[in-house]
Amino acid sequence: MDSAKHLHGRTEIRADYLDKVTGEAKFASDIVVPGMLHGRILRSTLPHARILAIDTSAALAMPGVVAVLTGADLAGINAHWGLYLRDRPVIAIDRVRYVGEPVAAVAAVDEFTAEEALDAIQVDYESLPFVTDAEEAMAPGAPILHEDMNKLKDFYFKGETKAVPGTNIFQHYQYENGDVDKAFAGAHRVFEDSFTFPMVFHYAMEPHVVVADFREDSIALWSCAQSPTAVQKVLSQLFEIPLAKIRVVTPFVGGGFGGKASVKIDPLVAALSRKAARPVRVCLSITESMLTCRRLSAHVNLKTAVSEQGELLAKSVRVVMNGGAYADTGPAVAIKSAIRAIGPYRIPNLRLESMAVYTNTVPGAAFRSIGGPQAVWATESQMDMIAEALHIDPVAFRLANMLDKGGLVRPDLRPLDVDMPEMLKSALRLMDAEAGSNARARGVAVAATDPGVLPVGGAIVRLKADASVLVLANTVEIGQGTHGVLRSVAARALSQPIERISVPAPDTDVSPYDWGTGASRSSVVIGLAVEEACADIARQVRELAADLYGGEPEAFLLADGGVVGPNGMVSIRELLHALNGVDSGEFIGIGRITPRSKQGAFARAPLFWETAVGVGEIEVDVDTGEVRLERYVSAADVGHVLNRKAAEGQDEGAAVQGLGHSLYEELVYEDGQPINASMIDYHVPAMDEAPHQFVTLLVESGDGPGPEGARGMGEGGILPVAPVIANALARRYGARIRDLPMTPEKVWRALNDAKKKGGK
Amino acid sequence: MLPARFELHRPDSLATALALLDEYGEDASPYAGGTELLIAMKARVVRFAHIIDIKRIAELRGIVARDDGGLSIGALCSHHELANDPIVRKHAPAYARLSANIANIRVRVAGTLGGNLCFAEPHADPPALLCALGAEVCLAGSRGMRKLPLQDFILGELSTVRTDQELLVRIEVPGQPEGARAAYRAFGHLERPAAGVAAVAKPEGKGYAWRFFAGSMCGRPTALTLLEDAMAGQPPAEALESLERTAQAAVEHIETYDDLRGSADYKRHLVTVLALRSARAALGLEERVA
Repeated sequence: MDSAKHLHGRTEIRADYLDKVTGEAKFASDIVVPGMLHGRILRSTLPHARILAIDTSAALAMPGVVAVLTGADLAGINAHWGLYLRDRPVIAIDRVRYVGEPVAAVAAVDEFTAEEALDAIQVDYESLPFVTDAEEAMAPGAPILHEDMNKLKDFYFKGETKAVPGTNIFQHYQYENGDVDKAFAGAHRVFEDSFTFPMVFHYAMEPHVVVADFREDSIALWSCAQSPTAVQKVLSQLFEIPLAKIRVVTPFVGGGFGGKASVKIDPLVAALSRKAARPVRVCLSITESMLTCRRLSAHVNLKTAVSEQGELLAKSVRVVMNGGAYADTGPAVAIKSAIRAIGPYRIPNLRLESMAVYTNTVPGAAFRSIGGPQAVWATESQMDMIAEALHIDPVAFRLANMLDKGGLVRPDLRPLDVDMPEMLKSALRLMDAEAGSNARARGVAVAATDPGVLPVGGAIVRLKADASVLVLANTVEIGQGTHGVLRSVAARALSQPIERISVPAPDTDVSPYDWGTGASRSSVVIGLAVEEACADIARQVRELAADLYGGEPEAFLLADGGVVGPNGMVSIRELLHALNGVDSGEFIGIGRITPRSKQGAFARAPLFWETAVGVGEIEVDVDTGEVRLERYVSAADVGHVLNRKAAEGQDEGAAVQGLGHSLYEELVYEDGQPINASMIDYHVPAMDEAPHQFVTLLVESGDGPGPEGARGMGEGGILPVAPVIANALARRYGARIRDLPMTPEKVWRALNDAKKKGGK
Repeated sequence: MLPARFELHRPDSLATALALLDEYGEDASPYAGGTELLIAMKARVVRFAHIIDIKRIAELRGIVARDDGGLSIGALCSHHELANDPIVRKHAPAYARLSANIANIRVRVAGTLGGNLCFAEPHADPPALLCALGAEVCLAGSRGMRKLPLQDFILGELSTVRTDQELLVRIEVPGQPEGARAAYRAFGHLERPAAGVAAVAKPEGKGYAWRFFAGSMCGRPTALTLLEDAMAGQPPAEALESLERTAQAAVEHIETYDDLRGSADYKRHLVTVLALRSARAALGLEERVA
């Protein structure tokens, strides 16, 4: 314990663990507000239909039912919202666009009554033609989901989407550098390959939950939101209530992975509370959460030109993403997917194109490393395919084309800030050292992604008379351990033991604006804001001490419980006593991060590169086609490890989540219906499917932009898993799979095909 | 999601339970572990005005060794009990192992064998091996008991011969002759098995008389009679060769269909793989690992 104190708690495991394992921790779903009602949602059973009539009279007549909300109740407010496109009604108005879309919501005295009332609501639909596939949605004559493209600019992400009116394309992103066509024409070989990536569900353990209390001129919400200030902004615009009158409190959240980022069910619950004139709690089931959002599925086409020596000359990327019924954050996902398909390679001629398309399916949304897994799956599979065709070792092929630290992935982006070649070699050395390691069944993949970090956020730190410290920030503790990180940052910056640092639940009434918890940004952006707020306090304390006791402020240093000067230690209480005349009061520090921070260095994107290396070895049951990822090394340059337990947990969690889309997960649509949106038919990796040997290598180059040189992390680990497995399968058995997930049946067929071709 | 409202009855004797079933008929469902029923009720794909909780009925409990060396299993026995019961482990070790591998620990602790058989979800482990072992089920109604082979009890997907007025009370597994062996092997990448094969070998001639049942393929377990005929009485090594030679033909006409767990041709292929694995396991041979 002494050494832990000495390090200001940096070796402390995590303050939230004990509360979580004992059940003491208060999660969003534990919140009870006096007088609250319970809401349930009636959902569309049709993929695309006009609502002819909704009869709620029988439901309203049921004892215990207080209110029923339908699209008709939205008259008089701004009924539509969105992040890039204002395309989504708070609740369906006259039309539904996917199975699962909220059509009516009931508020009743308890959940059972509300659920019973749903049965009593009669909805008459007129079916419309529907489309669930992105390519079909782009074909001439496809049913159009949104006639208007009501675009927003600089609303949540910077910029605006390039939607194509009159089509289902709600984002069309293009980028070009160099002379791609000329490079293709003159190349030794040009490889063209297509890959597909499935719709997958975030599967947070806690489903979406919100308690809303709508008053005449204010709204209070207890929400599972990853982006409380985005919720605030959207509600403010919908209901025309000032930002300062909208309070969003975010207790512990049981996982999000992007599925609770931006805004999800908050507007609906607020509208239901408005209708009922009472606080209302809506807690979805997991199945309903599966009908709320999912990762954008993708079709990725890559055309890559190489020289005879195996030098990458040009690459053309075309990504078509299935964005579902509403755009949500899909436009950003599409952009990132195109950029993340580049990889950490020198490619002098580059063409990127991506499209996100409306379909009659669950809305696509941000999901851990937005667009990344889709892109890296394609690029890193193709890198191995090219190496094989050129008879070059896949690692050597990568290293020969890999950017050194400081190299440019794209001329307009911040230079790559990590040493990728060294990281790859380190990961391989670690794998070689693993017991039973078998290079014949090994696959390798790397990734370099540009987190969409908006460097905007703040923190307030309050140093109390007894030298206890309150850190106020809107960073959501979603399982990643961010509150522990903020505590340790404050402990170090104020030289106080970590035990005296508190980080309460985010509350927009109390804590400063923060863009949101996502994009691997909190440790960097809010960590720096806390550091800055602590520096503000330290300055005040030292100036006051110098003023009171003489000498220069520099002669005073913060220490455990007080400040140490030329004449020894003075406690914080004594300082405040001397200042205020009573022995009470506090020091208040403010930290703000903006694109102007660090002399404007934060303005260039990305703020840092989130990188990943995966090296894995598989075992295959060739009779059934079952693949096991047996050993795995996951590496990332995180700059500096702020909390090892939390950082390793994030990395392991990301990789095992990646195992899900690699081997098992896919939301399947048939006739417009999602047929496996349940915990029985949708399988996520279980403990016995995780690799037997798993090593996380956290490289600490110490030169990230965050506290103590930290970089953001927690998303990169998901990226290499699928191509690692596919590359290992191809290397060991000559079986190349291009569409995920690699189910036993697909593997079995690929093995049969390889055998027929007389493969290895 | 929440189930529709229902009235809960908690009889503590078989007679009371049967009287309730007589009274409410198709409006009632017996409820034991709830691992199938409650999910279906919550999804509102089934509705019952009356739920009859049979967990307090002592007559439905217990595992007893039969005089012939077999087992008499109370319908309320959970998979977890069956996996760990010393009598089952001694008299039907293959069945104990099967029980230990069903779904996950929460399902095994709550889910009962009787419920599993009555719900008749095709993607389940118990029916194939119980059929291969020649198990019979005892149904009680207010007008008396009837006993019939499990094979005849299961009619198809989610369908059995049990009437709304009957309860499954016991599963009788006959004793196997000296030297008999059994094994079950299943495979699937989702929660429920895509395919499973049970093999039972009873001494005959220079080897064994074999019984094979494939589970999860269609509504009810399918006997692989072609394999049984090809392997009958052959010494083990020869029998396994016959199996490998015949497997393709044996599965060719098995009724099955494409679903989330695999295409029909893949599932038929799995049966050939699992037939060999279960036969080898029954013979005590080490499982071949690719």
